[in-house]
Amino acid sequence: MWLGIDVGGTFTDAVLVEDGKVISQSKAPTTHDDLLIGILAAIDLAVPSGSPLVIERVALSTTVVTNAIIQGAISEVKIVLMPGPGLNTEGLFPVKPALVSGYIDHRGRVVKRPNEQEVLAQATLPGKIFAVAGKFAVRNPVNEQQVSEWLGKCKPRLVIAASKVSGSLNFIRRTNSAYYNAACYFVFEKFAQAMEEALAKRAITAPVHILKADGGTLPLALAKDYPIESFFTGPAASVLGVMALQPSMADTISLDIGGTTTDIALWRKGKPLFAERGATIAGYNTAVRAFRLHSVGIGGDSYVRRESDKIVVGPMRLGPAMAVGGKEPTLSDAMIARGDRVFGNKEAAIAAMASLALPGQSVQDVANQVIAEAAYIVRQAIEDTITEEIAQPVYTVNDMIHPDPFMPHELIGVGGAAAGFVPVIAKQLGVSYIVPPRAEIANAIGAAVARPTMSLTMRADTAEGFYSIPELLLKQPIHSPQFTLDDARKILADHLLERAREAGIRSTDLEEVYTEEFNMIRGFSTIGKMISCSLQIKPGVLMYFNEGQGGVRHE
Amino acid sequence: MNKLGLVFFPAFDWAITPTHPEREERLLYTRDQIVEEGLLDLPQIHEYKPQLATLRDLERVHIGVPNLRSHIKDAHFVSAGGAITAARAVKNGEVKRAFALVRPPGHHAMRMVHGTRGFCTVNIEAIMIAHMRKHFGIKKVAIVDTDVHHGDGTQDIFYHDPDTLFISFHQDGRTLYPGTGFTNELGGPKAFGTTLNLPLPPGTDDEGLHYMLDHFVLPILEDFQPDMIINSAGQDNHYSDPLANMAITAQGYARLADKLKADVAVLEGGYSIEAALPYVNVGIILAMAGLDYSQVIEPDILSKQGKSNLGYMEKLVQQQWTVWKNREQLAKEQIAKWGDYFVRQKNIYYDDSGIQEKQTEKVRLCPQCRGFMTIATQAETAYYDSQSAFAAIIEQDACPACRCAAKDAVSKEIKLGRYDHYFIQDKEQDTLETIK
Ligand SMILES: [Zn+2]
Ligand SMILES: [Zn+2]
Repeated sequence: MWLGIDVGGTFTDAVLVEDGKVISQSKAPTTHDDLLIGILAAIDLAVPSGSPLVIERVALSTTVVTNAIIQGAISEVKIVLMPGPGLNTEGLFPVKPALVSGYIDHRGRVVKRPNEQEVLAQATLPGKIFAVAGKFAVRNPVNEQQVSEWLGKCKPRLVIAASKVSGSLNFIRRTNSAYYNAACYFVFEKFAQAMEEALAKRAITAPVHILKADGGTLPLALAKDYPIESFFTGPAASVLGVMALQPSMADTISLDIGGTTTDIALWRKGKPLFAERGATIAGYNTAVRAFRLHSVGIGGDSYVRRESDKIVVGPMRLGPAMAVGGKEPTLSDAMIARGDRVFGNKEAAIAAMASLALPGQSVQDVANQVIAEAAYIVRQAIEDTITEEIAQPVYTVNDMIHPDPFMPHELIGVGGAAAGFVPVIAKQLGVSYIVPPRAEIANAIGAAVARPTMSLTMRADTAEGFYSIPELLLKQPIHSPQFTLDDARKILADHLLERAREAGIRSTDLEEVYTEEFNMIRGFSTIGKMISCSLQIKPGVLMYFNEGQGGVRHE
Repeated sequence: MNKLGLVFFPAFDWAITPTHPEREERLLYTRDQIVEEGLLDLPQIHEYKPQLATLRDLERVHIGVPNLRSHIKDAHFVSAGGAITAARAVKNGEVKRAFALVRPPGHHAMRMVHGTRGFCTVNIEAIMIAHMRKHFGIKKVAIVDTDVHHGDGTQDIFYHDPDTLFISFHQDGRTLYPGTGFTNELGGPKAFGTTLNLPLPPGTDDEGLHYMLDHFVLPILEDFQPDMIINSAGQDNHYSDPLANMAITAQGYARLADKLKADVAVLEGGYSIEAALPYVNVGIILAMAGLDYSQVIEPDILSKQGKSNLGYMEKLVQQQWTVWKNREQLAKEQIAKWGDYFVRQKNIYYDDSGIQEKQTEKVRLCPQCRGFMTIATQAETAYYDSQSAFAAIIEQDACPACRCAAKDAVSKEIKLGRYDHYFIQDKEQDTLETIK
């Protein structure tokens, strides 16, 4: 039996699942000052003490890192940066970095070694937490490694090399990832420790997994080294929830309709799309792999009013629905008044709609208008999202001439306010829709069943005669001039599986994220190959839910 | 707003041949540098996916023998489309400037197309300009060709167009392909002085390049007042380029982009794919986006060798400046000298296709209108039969007499039957007619 927990903005949900069924579910208020209180309350409700249920796995989608960053409750970190020549990086990092010498070129060749004196001069920061980053370090980690070693001599609390955190190009993003990873390290460590102790007290000894922004999980022990991966996991949990509740092989759009926002995710042939380069954290670009989600300011609690005779919905929230004691009409009140949703006081919801009615206008009519207005905003956001997806640049003639256009014909809605709302959006878009059962706890279900994942990147340059796997700070010679993409894949797969095994991940199901292979020609003859390859333990869900045969498709 | 639109299309699956300088790998290291520097994340830069140009877009400029489709690959629709996307983004006001960092290149492609020459099959800048004139009502255009090779294709296409100012600086044609671009190539009689060539001695460095820019190119652009400035941004003037012998640095290129303030830059050549392109392109992108490019420096910069003969530059500027100042008077003299028709013979070599083309271009110097032009062309290869064609090109504002005369010229040739193919390119009707 698996336990999934999702820490949301208002509530912390817990579910207990087995064999595609929800055994129990619970809800407790989220306690932002100490998330653990709310988490444990939800667990205690879902798994009463003395319960004979055997928990085999606990997976958690938590906002601990997100909160720490938003509240500024993170450690002071010094960025030691080897930018080399190029872009002026001023203002692109959350703190002013210490610039030191050292440069690797695009082929991974050391152009300039770092300087020990320069580096040690930066080691005076009282907190002694460092993020080390260099341009093109993913092509050759030697400079980052050297600088980290030198810093290590000064008894630091923590040194994080950026190419270990992300193996992809874009050193601004890698640097920011390393910075936030270092800054959240101790906050997360403290949380993880408290979590483990609390579970032990409840005799839950199952392995604990933390959900990442890319929808995979990491065992807690490993997650401690990569806390930034758990940034913004609520939407990721929801995407996983959709996958578990309503698997589809088509191009679809899923909507998670919450209290204040609707998150839009795009799915191509059953797979959710990722943010092209990584997540943005507190306004800074990072390399954190995350789903491509578009948030629009419409949710159940969106404030509804008339502005010069026109019904206006959102984007602000002034409080809960009038049906549950709020002071101003909300989108939820419209749904409750229409009978789409059943909670709170229907009379109060009707009164809320009546307060918006023009002379002679029926409550039903006002509610319809409110929902249509809100749906229109979401619909426009969906259309913008699709336009943006179609405008994604491609870099081969083949992709230009034979495009694979994104053509969604289906809307899948989850979240508390999905029921009355999604049908109206679908109708406006002219597509079918499904609101699967358990849609309101999709996030907790998603967390409960998310697969553990892990990825590695390799760059092999057979002309220079080496390959590197940045996440392992590894640089190895290539002996055979016949080294191919297949060889690269094999070596990378071995490393990935070994690393997964060490982390207690049992899955051996690998998936190619990215490959690239170029012949290198100099003076009209081939001198080697440039190979890039990225593999991951296949993400997805470990369990599908088919209670009531899934959702019903409405055309 | 100081936003740069970037159309990046490295055509990672297109090559002329596997080991040709125009191969898949060409923009690989540029891509790596752009991505690693994080340029695509900057709010000052917006990346655009290229649109596909249409055959109509291409045939608004070119006449292919026996037809254009048989010479072009899908890649050409993308790179021409990329240039169009860049120009549209600027003229729609979405961005301040745009850079079409695309392949395949185009500035050696002339109006008549028998094959590929200087790695170019269709002229992507000319196609872009024709598109913009047709759809955006652009009139006056200035093209500054900063590729190390003379932009002979672009010069050919706009040679008789007084609304298009073509300035090319390049390594002296006596020392480099295509062997043209001398100071006496100044445009047809009615467009005299709107083609200006600045052949530079091998070894010219940043100082020499910027001397020409400051003392000639910028003042002339100021004088011409174009609706649009296009930069044919070849990068083979770089000191490390394997196909040429100049000594320009990434800083030299970036400062050029900064001063020129082109509305649209379009990549042309540049074959030092590792040592130059990554840095030159980052420099140009930053400069066009109004960002600090002062730290864009090649790692091997110390090895650069170059020196400019400023005495030569000064004389060159003086000579061409005199032409520019007196161009109206000189045009009158040219027209008087030629009378009703301007005629020139051209020998054109297609290095990539192994074709030798002989062309006779005859332009009607009509006092009422821009007139029309006929081109008689014969292309020979070692392997195939010769392909010949006769074409009439009717200008946009052609008077009824010229329209008639152009059509008559084609009818007459059809009767004589001396050519394999006959065409009428009508700029007024926006058509290319193939006459059987
Ligand atoms: Zn060139
Ligand atoms: Zn006329």
